[in-house]
Amino acid sequence: MELLGRETRERFGLRSRSQAGILIFSLVSTMMLLSSLYAAEASVFKKAREAAIETASPILKFFAGPIGWIEDRLGAISDYFRVLEQNEALREENAALRQWEEEARSLRGVIAALEELEAYTPPPAAKPINAFVIGEANDAYVHSMIVNAGANEGVSRGFAAVDERGMVGRIVDVSPNAARILLLNDVQSRIPVFVEGSFVEGLLVGRSTSQPTIAITKLANGDKIQPGQRVITSGAGGVLPRGLTVGAVAAVDKKEATVELAADYARSRMVRIINYKFPDVEATPLGAPGAAAAAAEISAAETAPATAADAANLPAAPPAAPAPVDEGD
Amino acid sequence: MSTRADVLMRLAGAATPALLGFLGVILLASPLRLFGGEVPTPVFPLIIVYFWSLYSPGHLPAASVFAMGLTHDLLSGGPIGLWPTVYLVTQQIAISQQAYFLGRDLGVVSIGFAVAALVVSLIVWFVMSLMTATVLPLGGIFWQMLATVACFPLFALAFGRLHRRVVIEV
Repeated sequence: MELLGRETRERFGLRSRSQAGILIFSLVSTMMLLSSLYAAEASVFKKAREAAIETASPILKFFAGPIGWIEDRLGAISDYFRVLEQNEALREENAALRQWEEEARSLRGVIAALEELEAYTPPPAAKPINAFVIGEANDAYVHSMIVNAGANEGVSRGFAAVDERGMVGRIVDVSPNAARILLLNDVQSRIPVFVEGSFVEGLLVGRSTSQPTIAITKLANGDKIQPGQRVITSGAGGVLPRGLTVGAVAAVDKKEATVELAADYARSRMVRIINYKFPDVEATPLGAPGAAAAAAEISAAETAPATAADAANLPAAPPAAPAPVDEGD
Repeated sequence: MSTRADVLMRLAGAATPALLGFLGVILLASPLRLFGGEVPTPVFPLIIVYFWSLYSPGHLPAASVFAMGLTHDLLSGGPIGLWPTVYLVTQQIAISQQAYFLGRDLGVVSIGFAVAALVVSLIVWFVMSLMTATVLPLGGIFWQMLATVACFPLFALAFGRLHRRVVIEV
């Protein structure tokens, strides 16, 4: 009896010592969890995350090489078994792309003609920043990537990241040499999108599955979404550029539509970060650039014939000549 | 001279579980896409925490477990505090069931790990649902934990050898 009692007492003593640590650290982590639930974007946590990806980026870069090599070997083995079907799929894709090439060529001609007429102003040129994927969170609900380009390369928060197929996600954390991309299928991802061909605007909401859904915000009467329609970024809110390929509608429900993403997360090793800045609205006098352009057009239409006639008839036009004289006086 | 080397070796041995845990966290944060990304990355640190908490809790103190979880959160970009909680709960489960599982067959221990993984995945699902204020599908976390449980026997065998060779016998 005595022995049994002592044994249990000793065991209890040992356990309570190890459990005190667990209890204390559990309390700390629960408090952290509650505070991050209360304010997910607390600046202390944000800074800690940015410091963490900065510190970890050399280690992740070191590991990314061998991991990529192993994946290539494994991928090559599985590719051998699917050469025929892949070949067939590529042939079909090639045929479709040839048609697009024709269309692109003709469109290029149209654009060149419009540029000649000066009726076309090109959108502000975006300068993409290329970056390698060095880290990835492939958790059940959290989907993000860490890339090896940061503030030093000109990356800043909110920029869109695309791979060769379509949009991957947007930048959420930036450190000097690394950045985190929140993928479109993360549960916290919200991207304004537009369904091409049916004038439907909505928010693309991550659902932690491979297919995010569109929560429709604007639906005119009679507009319908159909599977297969292309989904692009709408540019609403001015953070992302308009027209980035997101994917295609996969299925339509009463309230929402699921989207099959164009980007292939399992294959994207390199992404392009699009340096986009919403054109300054305040620079134009009347607020809306459209109105200013329209006003300029009207005034040009009124004055153009007169000046053209002047230019044709009298090279040294009297109305132009007195002006410098007045100034001189 | 030799004593200092001994001390260093002993320290390295004692730090092995924690170092392995950090390696697991790094592996989880690396772009490892198993089978073309179709299989979710197993939660390697969970196996490490469960194994050492069961067989030798003294070699993996709560502080290391907490640090592992915090690193996981910081690198994945999820809510901070989630994975420390999850790993500490796993450690608590393992320690509380130690009396039953010590000396049992690997199959029985694996079932114990599966139960712990189930509890933990419910915690993750609940927290993430609370954070996004929606009822999230359970499928993703279920598959990830299934992959982890499937890996457990292999890792437990390897860790068992490592534990005997490196952690204790120096």
